[in-house]
Amino acid sequence: MAGSGGDERAWVRGAQTGSVSDLEALFRHHWPRAYRAAYLVVHDAAAAEDIAQESFLAAVRNLDRFDRRRRFGPWLHRIVVNRAIDWSRARSLRREAGDTALADAAAPAAAGNPHSRSLAGALAELSEEHRAVIVLRHLLEYTPGEIADLLDVPRGTVNSRLRRGLDQLQGRLGAELR
Amino acid sequence: MSWREPAPGEREAEERSWAIVHAAHAQREPLPRPRRNRAPLVVLATALAIAAAVLSPPGRAVLSSIRDAVRGERNARPALFSLPTGGRLLVESSRGVWVVQRDGSKRLLSGYRDAAWSPRGLYLAAVRGHELRALEPNGEVHWSLARRGRLALPRWSSEGFRIAYLAGRSLRVVDGDGTRDRLLARRAAATPPAWLPATHEVAYVEPSGTVRVVDADSTRTVWTGRTDRPFLLQWSDDGARLLALSERSLDVFRRDGRPSSSGPISDASTAAFLPGTHRIALVERFYDRSTVRLFAADDLGMRLHRIFAGAGVFGDLAWSPDGKWLLLSWDSADQWLFIRSAAVRKVVAVSNVVGSFGANPALDGWCCPP
Repeated sequence: MAGSGGDERAWVRGAQTGSVSDLEALFRHHWPRAYRAAYLVVHDAAAAEDIAQESFLAAVRNLDRFDRRRRFGPWLHRIVVNRAIDWSRARSLRREAGDTALADAAAPAAAGNPHSRSLAGALAELSEEHRAVIVLRHLLEYTPGEIADLLDVPRGTVNSRLRRGLDQLQGRLGAELR
Repeated sequence: MSWREPAPGEREAEERSWAIVHAAHAQREPLPRPRRNRAPLVVLATALAIAAAVLSPPGRAVLSSIRDAVRGERNARPALFSLPTGGRLLVESSRGVWVVQRDGSKRLLSGYRDAAWSPRGLYLAAVRGHELRALEPNGEVHWSLARRGRLALPRWSSEGFRIAYLAGRSLRVVDGDGTRDRLLARRAAATPPAWLPATHEVAYVEPSGTVRVVDADSTRTVWTGRTDRPFLLQWSDDGARLLALSERSLDVFRRDGRPSSSGPISDASTAAFLPGTHRIALVERFYDRSTVRLFAADDLGMRLHRIFAGAGVFGDLAWSPDGKWLLLSWDSADQWLFIRSAAVRKVVAVSNVVGSFGANPALDGWCCPP
């Protein structure tokens, strides 16, 4: 990842004191992973945008209380991934015909994107819990111990979800998943 | 496969979201810093930042994105040539009340305000001066009733035999033929009353914010419910749910008054049940962006679907009588959007709404069920 821990602390400090350029650096640095993580869990561009955007807004609202000795990324990713899991659970509980009753004019799907054909498609076959740990491990590059902290689950649970999820993914994607 | 490839919509969403995060950051109080005379530096830095924003490709992209968004939908029709489906619209503006036919023709009922359709669209109830009037869509008045205080917000019961309205701070009821006008409640908030379908029970809001449902004939209270001073009440078509919308919360009650669900929301402007369902379309505003989402009335924690989002302010919502089209007023863009079902995935935009109807156009209803 571009941007060292020192950069990040400086951006947080600057954003806390009103610097727009530092806030923008923080936002631009973290947006792609936040959005991708949300998208790969929820498989809905509009929902991913909402989740990532609202997570950043939550961060901005709580900026003054943020402890600069901590890393910003894990704090943001915890919000993003947990919200994405909640959203997916809620949707799977109530998959009504009316879900598609109206056009989502704001964020139409991009059919040509590789996410929609391979990775995202394969991930969509997994449960939201399995998707989340795989996204945290392979997109956001957290260790299983860090994932356990982020999701408030035992480390053994993370390991088993990773193992089962990857087994299923490898069945679909073969050697592509590295 | 690569984890590093952008996801669908990632870049566009980044620009939209940066504009919103930036606005949120600008509205917060920054932490205090050591006092120094930095005014000249601040002026210079601000000027440079603006110049950089305008001149740099990302800055141009952001500004262009916002400008395009508030401009509204591209290829919008310059005027409302016709409605996309059956029914007639009621539109209120500074010039009066407009009745819009399906073919796009419209008639101004000058000087009227607070209009509402009768159940089958044969009549309107509307206010002119100190009079409540029942009139035909062509303007022919059938009866009128003068009362003290500011008259407002008449609403017909579902079979058309009663009209509830506000007179000053009181809630009154009159029969559909203009007779037997009587006081129902001495104090009521300025929220439109809502009739429980197929009954003479009407829900209204007390000044304290409590929702009260009363039988208009016996004046018996059926139930009361605590809310956060809602400005909108609406029953589902089957009368099984009542939504109460406040700026910061949405509460849904069952027919017997038991709470069904409740949720905090962000600066809501309106909501409406999708006809024949327990699903609710809700308009929320968050900083400089507005969104219409569909929620399940019994589980407001879950968003079923995002219908539309855009920069600026959205106004009213109206479902077509057949429930297949949603009319959304996009006030910041001076457009109306007719949004159609997923099978067609169609949005028909109409621009120049203020020019067509006058200042502050508001949707009073899309009538009537077949």
